[in-house]
Order: sequence, then structure tokens, then C-alpha cells
Amino acid sequence: MPRRRFLKGGAGATLAALALGSGADGLLTGCASDLADAGTVPLPRPDHPVTWPLFPGNGPIKSGLAAEPDATLQVYTWEAYINQACVNSFAKKYKCKVQVTTFNTMNEALSKLRSGLSYDILIGATVDVLGQLIEGKLVQPLNHSYIPNISQAWPDYANPFYDQHWQYTVPYTIYTTGISWRKDLVDESPYSMANPWAMPWQPKYKGRVAILDDYREGICLGLMKNGLFDLNTTDYRQIGTSRRALQDLIGLVNLRIDNNDYSEVPTGQTWITNAWSGDMAAAVSYMPKGVNVDVVGYWFPPDGRGPVANDTNVVLQSAASPVLAHMFLNYMLDLPVVLENISWNGYMQPLTGVTPQVLVKEQILPQSLVSTAVQPLAFRRGLFELQLPVDADALWQQAWLVVSNGI
Amino acid sequence: MTETSASGQLAEAGATPGRALPAARRPGRLPWGNPWGHPWFLEGFTWLYLIWSLVPIVIAVLFSFNDGRSQSAWQGFSWRWYFSDPVNSVLHNPQLHAAVIQTARLSVLTTVIAVPLGVAFALGINRWRGPVPSTFNFVMILSYVIPELIFGVSMFFVFTTLFSSVHLGTLAEVLGLVTWNVSWPAIVVQARLVTLGRQYEEAAADLGANQFQVMRRVLLPLLAPAIFASAVLVFSGVIDDFVIVDLLSSSAGNTPMSVIIYSTQHGGNGGPALNALGTIMLAMSLIIVIIGYVGYRLLTWGERGSGIAALAAISGEG
Amino acid sequence: MRNKRNAFWIALATPGVIWLAVLFVVPFYAVLSIGMGKLNQLYEAPVAVWNPASWSSSSVIDVWRDLFGGASFAGPILARTVIYVALASLLSLAIGYPVAYFVARFAGRRKALFLVLLIAPFWISYMMRMLAWIDLLATGGYVNKVLGWVGITPVNWLGGSSVAVVLGLVYGYIPYLILVLYAGLDRIDPALIEAGRDLGLGRVRTFLHVTLPLSRQPILTGLLITVLPMLGDYYTNQMLSGAASTSMIGNLIQGQLGTPGLEGQGAVLSLMLLVVLLVPMVYYVIATNREATR
Repeated sequence: MPRRRFLKGGAGATLAALALGSGADGLLTGCASDLADAGTVPLPRPDHPVTWPLFPGNGPIKSGLAAEPDATLQVYTWEAYINQACVNSFAKKYKCKVQVTTFNTMNEALSKLRSGLSYDILIGATVDVLGQLIEGKLVQPLNHSYIPNISQAWPDYANPFYDQHWQYTVPYTIYTTGISWRKDLVDESPYSMANPWAMPWQPKYKGRVAILDDYREGICLGLMKNGLFDLNTTDYRQIGTSRRALQDLIGLVNLRIDNNDYSEVPTGQTWITNAWSGDMAAAVSYMPKGVNVDVVGYWFPPDGRGPVANDTNVVLQSAASPVLAHMFLNYMLDLPVVLENISWNGYMQPLTGVTPQVLVKEQILPQSLVSTAVQPLAFRRGLFELQLPVDADALWQQAWLVVSNGI
Repeated sequence: MTETSASGQLAEAGATPGRALPAARRPGRLPWGNPWGHPWFLEGFTWLYLIWSLVPIVIAVLFSFNDGRSQSAWQGFSWRWYFSDPVNSVLHNPQLHAAVIQTARLSVLTTVIAVPLGVAFALGINRWRGPVPSTFNFVMILSYVIPELIFGVSMFFVFTTLFSSVHLGTLAEVLGLVTWNVSWPAIVVQARLVTLGRQYEEAAADLGANQFQVMRRVLLPLLAPAIFASAVLVFSGVIDDFVIVDLLSSSAGNTPMSVIIYSTQHGGNGGPALNALGTIMLAMSLIIVIIGYVGYRLLTWGERGSGIAALAAISGEG
Repeated sequence: MRNKRNAFWIALATPGVIWLAVLFVVPFYAVLSIGMGKLNQLYEAPVAVWNPASWSSSSVIDVWRDLFGGASFAGPILARTVIYVALASLLSLAIGYPVAYFVARFAGRRKALFLVLLIAPFWISYMMRMLAWIDLLATGGYVNKVLGWVGITPVNWLGGSSVAVVLGLVYGYIPYLILVLYAGLDRIDPALIEAGRDLGLGRVRTFLHVTLPLSRQPILTGLLITVLPMLGDYYTNQMLSGAASTSMIGNLIQGQLGTPGLEGQGAVLSLMLLVVLLVPMVYYVIATNREATR
């Protein structure tokens, strides 16, 4: 199911002069001036893994405790991101109540958490906000003895680069961003194009092209179209190139910017869009009568050099029922539960038992959309969109603001 | 007044009828010829507007009974989204269930507070002269002009930092909603007051009524349509509001239907369950309006018509 | 006697005054403080600066530059917003006035029925109405099917069309206009219209010289109630178009308020919008007061 991801990043107190002439070759100049205590937050990268510090006063719970009796587990998660049936079965098994509160953007979630609202678990914490969650002491370290099911996850997750020794996180979903298109309405196929990322830039599909409403995904698309693959670039020239490419795209195809890929490609309102793999995996539910799901295509670079992301689950510092919280995290790593969740959600979860073959066999995924399933290799080879330094993030945000408002 | 005498009088008066009565045509022959005839064109136009306005509502209600998961392809009739589906129906899904209750709670509380507050404000400001009332009248209008999003953000900010003893939750939602909606009764009632003029009050005062009686027996009944209209506006404003409430909610227990519909449809998984929510909203509102209307008629039984008519007659307006 | 009279009205107005002072003026000042404030570096969250002496004008400068600077980009958005809103409100008036007039003057015994039908859109969520329209306007939806019967090729209504956005604005806000117009037109004394006819004015001229001037106040109020929210609207075009080429000033503000680090600019832009809107508001207040003292 799609979500609006306004990834949390940073922005300088002043943005330097951004010359944005619409025809001229404007340049984005970076600025790092008035930052009082700039980036003391470590920035995880695949080649620079981070071990988060453990803070005094914010230690893990003790081992061997029993679940809190008569508790109501407070789950905080994205809108439509967890199967209510899984939640209900957990409540039944552990004899407790579960209340699910949802949010629409990560920014909203962080604002509310900082304002003092307390929940037990955050489901779907994106990797790029872990810095803020952990350094801001909004989450507590995990006690691994309550989560034996981690052994069912891909081995990489016992020591992911963004949280070495999985001190604070367990993985939730993993997904890629690729191109989704209607095979029956579009002549070209990304598989046979020289530059598949340039597929949206075709004026003959005017009015039928969309991109995701997400500043990272948008600027990344512009970067990749121009052959630039550093998806965490701080180079203002690259960001400018991407912005110009996107502005051209607006003019060429009257570009739409929304997160309705999951429904608009199946219904044929949109013919070409960049899309999240989990959204397109659920295409079957949105096909109109008489149209076979085979017409929906999803392409991701076969060599794996495309955007990959994974979301995590964390236990919040203010949890009133931390033992139950740990048990819930454990529960969501169990294969039968995970399969049930994926069948509703569409988003793959990185368990060893979840393979494309299993998904097709369980009729969770149609054969034609097997490309939406993510392989373990993707975690290692894929390009992650990660937390940026404060001033670079400001450049990304500003570029996107200009693009998304159609200038 | 017959048609021929009308034209006769017109001719006698020597007035030029203008475009409405071209000399070659007689009144009554054409749809617009007779000024006293029933305005069929206007009525037809009104019905066209109503169809345009209501067809989507009918569709939305219809699809709440859809058997499948689609909101656009009819897949058969079912009560599934209301109560039969054990997981996702409004009755069984705790989020949806809580939302219905919260909407009812918020709309009633807000209307009950905002309408009297706004009406009293309009009445008072209209008669109180001076810089203070003018400033606050201006502030009231400002509260109407301000974009809702920035108002919501400022409320969030205020309730989490300044007035933090009021946590996010139902109280904050009600306070925010009342403040946002109090301008409806204030502005609508003031506008009507302006067109009313002072003569009724003055007549009543001459007859010895004190201000309270003047207000209760003269002004309020005269203002009834405006009060009713503003109550409708406040009520519907609250039911539909998702901007302010989204920012001020703290858990699934105080998230109303509007926020669920907005965030679910806007960012994720829609489905006929939302239509069911919408239909419930519609039904709730209709019930409340019927109760309100019946209650109003009962309360003012016998008072309304005669009191005003007598007063009007005495003051020479009959 | 005068003091006693006044005291009563002052007492009536006081609760509203206090409420506004605490729950509107203070948050409004908070918006100012955010706009002129600083940023928390870790969270990139706005930090309000309460003391006017320490206000920082950096956000104001940024917004001003975005709007009017050498590399301004917000100009087209402003122009677009004004055009959409102007078209939408005129269209709403053109459709809404006849309807309100009919129901106020000619509905007779069926007035209650018409009122209920007019009010019905308020009670089913705006989202639901729009979603139903999106369904109807889809490429394979009923609107195109009907056009097909008449031989017109299917139109891509939802592909980023400004027409769809303007019509969407009309659809969303016209019920408010009609209700307010009705409340005002209901008040017009039929005797005055009769008098106009008696004097020999035809239908059209009676309307122009009698009814229209009397409707001035309701029209003004009605326009107020539609134009101002329209200017802050950001979801109609998101639902019906989604295209970058139809974005309005509301979308820009929403984008800024939702972007860490740009909330200050969002606050400033909203305040600037507010200042612009004050002009018609002041006119409205003056016109209303003039009407009152007549």
C-alpha cells in the first residue's frame, strides 16, 4: 500500500541564493553557513556502517519478564501499512488489546512523538530518520532475548549497516522503486530501452505520465535519467541537473505528481510512472473488470543498481508495555504471519522463507509481477536513499518544492 | 390581476416595458412573458443543479453496499462494510468504529458551543460601539480568512508548547474546532442583523420590553434562519474537517471519520468501508437536523407567528 | 440609560471576545513567532521566538525572493490561483444565484424539501463527493460514456486539466454560497418587487433595479464565504488533477509547512496571503457597517 514519504532530513537556517531562472541555466549554490552545532549525528552508509550509542538512562528492558497483563498495546504506524487481521490474531494469542494509530507522513509522526505523545511501537520507521529517533532518545534499545524470530530474517539483518548489531531495530518491509507501465497502452518496454529511466520523458504520452510525490524519489529519478547514481549526492550541480530534467518533464507530458501508482496504473489513468514495488504487487486488487493483471508491468534494473529501501520497527522510549512490544516485533517476524501481512499489504518482508516462488505459490503475487519481489542481493547491491547532511537536504527539498509546484 | 389588465395598466402608465414585454408578443404566451407566472426556467435550472450536486452522493451511498472491494465497479449488494465483515466492517474494525463515535462527539460538542458563542458575539458586537468591539470584529473575520492549514499548525504548536496542559486529544480538537467555526454564526448572523434594521427592537422597547425580552422574543426569532444556517455550517464544517483535527489528534480513539477518509483515501487503501463511513455521516446529520427542526418547532409553538405579526402591525410595517 | 443598554450587549459579546483573545490571537502570534524564528538543528523543527526584538527576518527574505526576486518562481502560481478562484467564484455565482433565488421566492410549500436537498452535500464528506466525481470522470467512467453516445471522443478529464480543477472548486464550494444567498434573499420583501412591477418595470429591469441592489449584502457575504477558503485550498486540485501545472498557492504553503526546515517560510507565506486577503475583508466590513447605519 502506498504511503506518502516525506523523508525527514535537514535544512540550514538560511538557504543561499538559489538562482532559478526557468529558461536559463540556473545554478544551485550550496551553503553551510549558520549551522551552530551541525551534523553530530552519524550518517549511515553501506560502506560506512554505524553502531549507535547506548545512552545512560535509556537502556533495554530486563530479560525474562512476563508480558504486561490486561494491557493495550499502542501501535503507531503508516496509514494502511499493517494487516488488521495480523493485529487481531496477536491480540487473541497474547490476550491483550491492540490500538493502531496511524499517520500520513514521517514528518507528522516525528512532530507528534517529539511533542510527548506516547506509544509502544513505531512500525515502518524509515532508515533515514533513525538518526533523529535514536539521538533524540525517542526509541529504546532492544532486548534480543524476546525476539528469537530474527533468525527467520535474512542474515544481513543481524548486522545491517544502519544499525550494527541490530541494537534498536528489526526489519519490517523491503521494497524497490522502479518503473511501472501499461504494456498494452505503451509501445516501449523498459527492458529493451537503452536508458529505461528516461521512459517517462516522451511527449506522445502527454497526460498519462506521473511520478511519485516524494522528494527523494523524484530527484533520484532525475539523477538516474542523467546517468548519475549517487542517490545521496551533496553536489548542487547534480541536483540542479535533476531539477531541470524534471521541469522539462512537466512541460513535455503535463506531469502529475501523486502517490496513486497502485490504483492508476491498473485502471489505466496513468500509463507510465515510477512506482514502489509493494504498491504494484497489489495491482490485482485494483484491476477493473475484464482487464487482466498481466498488462501491468514493473521494471527494476536487472543489475540491481536502483533505489532500494527498507523500513524498520522500533520500540519507543515511552512504551508503557515494552515486553508486549518486543513480543509484537517478534510476532511480525514469523513466516505465517508475514505471509498474511504481505497478502494484504503488498510489501515484501525480508524473511528467508519469503521467496518469489513462495509468493506466487501462495497466490500472493501474480507471475507477471515477480519483478516486484526483492532478492537478498538487492540489499547488498542496491542504492539506498539515506539521511543527508543538513545543508544538502535543504538543496534537495528546495529543488523539489520548485518542481512540484509546476514552475 | 389578469394579464390583460397588467398590460393595460402598463400602457396607461406610459411606461416602456423594456425587453420583457416586446410589443409584438402578449404576456402569458412565452415562458418568461408573464411576470406572475411560475418560473419554470428557474425551477428547471434548480433541479438540474440539484441533480449535478446529488448524483455523486447517491453513488457514494450506493457503493457503500458493494459486495466487493471496489469503489467504482458494482459487485453485488451486501451489508459487509457495515457489520457483516468480521475484520473490516465499520462495526468490527476498531479504528472505524471509534471514528464514528468521535465524529458524533466532536460535531455535537462543537456546534453546541460555537453557535451560541458566535450568535451572542454577533449580537453584542453589533450594538456595542467602540474600538474594542471593532478590533475583535476584525479578529473574528481574520479567523475566517486565515488558511486552515496554518491555523491548524499554530494550534498544534500552541497546545504542545504553550498551553501544554491541554494535551493533544479531544479537548484540543474541540477547542480548535470551535475557534475555527465560531466565525460562521458570527458573520452570517451579523449580515442578517444588518438587513433587519432596528425598527422591531425599537417598537418592542417602546412597548416596554427590556433588552433580554427584546432579544429573546424579537431578535432571535427574526434571526432564526440565519442561526439555523450557521448551525448547519458549523455542524457540517466539523464533520468534514480533516486539517485541524488531524493535527490535534493523539490516538485512534480521538480520530474522527473525516481524518480516516482523508488519510486512507489519500495515501492508501480506500474501499467501500469509507463509503459506509460517509453514509453513516449523512444519516447522522439528517437525524440531528430532523431532531433540531422538530425541537425548534416545539419550543416556539404558538409564539413565532403571532408575536411577530402583532409587533409588525403595531409598528406600522404590516 | 445608555450605559445600561450597552452593558447588556457588552456582556453578550464578552465570552466570544475572551475566547478569540486566548485561542486565536495567541496562536496567531505563535505563527508570527515561527515565521520570524529559528530552526532546531537536530530535528529541523521550527523554534518560535517570542520576543519581537530577536526576530530573524531570514524566512521573510527567502519568501520575498521566491515571490519577487530576480529568480522568483512563485509568480505563476499566484497568477494561476487568482484566475482559478475568480473563474470558480463567478461561475458559482452564476449557478448559485438563480437557485437560491428560486428557492427563496418561489418554492412555496416545497421550500423545506429544497432546503434539505440543498443542504445534503454538507453532510456527506467533501472527500466522498470528490471521489465519486473522480470515478465518474475516469477515462472509462460514465461522463465519457455519455459523451460517447453523443459521438464525442473520450476526454482525459483527470490528466491535469485546469477545467477540471475550476469545476471542482465550484462543486466543492457552491453549497456554501447558495445557503448564504438563500439566507439573505429570503429577507427581501416581495412587496418591493411588486412595487417595481407596478411601476412598469419589466421582469429584467425589476430584477436589475430592485432585486439586485437588495441582494448586494448577501452576494458580498456569499462571495466572502467562497473566495477566501478557495484561496487556501490545496486538496481539490490534488484530487482532480495532481499535475504540477495546476498547483495553487495552497499547495506551495502545504509543501513548505510539511517540509522540515521550511515551516518558517510556510508561516511567512501564509501571513502574506492573509495580508492580501485583508483588503477585501476590510471592504466587506466597511460595506456592512455602511449598510447597518443606513
